[in-house]
Amino acid sequence: MTPPASSRTSSGADAKALAQRRRAELRRRTTRIRRSVAALALSLFAAAFGVVYVQLASGHDPALTAAALRRERAAAAPGSGAATTSPSESQSTEFGGAESGAGEAGSSEAESGSGEASGPSSVTTSQS
Amino acid sequence: MTAHTTILATSTGPYVFWITSRGAGIAALILSSLSVSLGLLMAGGRGRTRRADMRVAHEALALSTLAALVIHGLSLLGDGYLHPSLADVAIPFAGSYRTVWTAAGIIAFWSLAILGLSYYLRAKIGAQRWRSLHRLTAVAWILGIVHSLGDGTDAGQTWFLAMTATVVAPAVLLLLIRHLRPAGLRGAPAQPLPRHTGRGVGAPASEMQGAGSR
Repeated sequence: MTPPASSRTSSGADAKALAQRRRAELRRRTTRIRRSVAALALSLFAAAFGVVYVQLASGHDPALTAAALRRERAAAAPGSGAATTSPSESQSTEFGGAESGAGEAGSSEAESGSGEASGPSSVTTSQS
Repeated sequence: MTAHTTILATSTGPYVFWITSRGAGIAALILSSLSVSLGLLMAGGRGRTRRADMRVAHEALALSTLAALVIHGLSLLGDGYLHPSLADVAIPFAGSYRTVWTAAGIIAFWSLAILGLSYYLRAKIGAQRWRSLHRLTAVAWILGIVHSLGDGTDAGQTWFLAMTATVVAPAVLLLLIRHLRPAGLRGAPAQPLPRHTGRGVGAPASEMQGAGSR
């Protein structure tokens, strides 16, 4: 009771076509997922970049703000030389509460800003 | 308005590399957390019907994480203040800037890269051995979080902490569920992978099952 040769050929061709369709569908879905993830990654990067950029440009960057404050206080204090020579100490005493986390994280970054913080400081001045 | 924009552009100019590095680091933190969550979901036997899609998404998220981490490290090379060398950003304990925290991040990156990319060599490594190794990815991810909280400029910011908690908490919860659950109840039973190393959702179902713990 074997089916006729023509029928076997047609069912084999159908199966091949079905398999090809399924493979194509899987490939399309894979591509779609990969593109979505790539778009998500780019969006996340753009959003994070934007947040940090705005934060910095508006004069609210944790590291640069800490550096600016430290410089101001060092300048105001009578023994300003000591304050500038021990940034970590002044950092820990100046920033308490909500700022303390950023203080520790940004204390060394603050040093990075201390050298070139004129940009954001001038922004703050121009905005206020 | 134009003047204001100009001021912003001028003032942030010297910090572009620094901002890029921070942005890429934040993106990597989110992407890696999503990837770990998805991997743990698959390993826990959830989403059986969409396992193939989840595997593709998990792989894409992992590769995106690595790309973001490469940008995170390399963009620092252009930073005007730190002036790190390639060795400083690639070799743990080589740099002088916050040595321990930075080393944690570098070790996390290399671990994630090696453990993640070993997926493509699992036929050579052996499926069982690869699966055991791949579990260490969670440790590398945790090390990355430690780096971001210890070294991150924004680590004290409320928005950063809230964002980190939002993406990290589900993964930590899944990790706890996976490790606190009795071994017999864990999903994705260990099955030998076929020698077939085809990528994508067209791979055989047995391979999909094996890839579940990734």
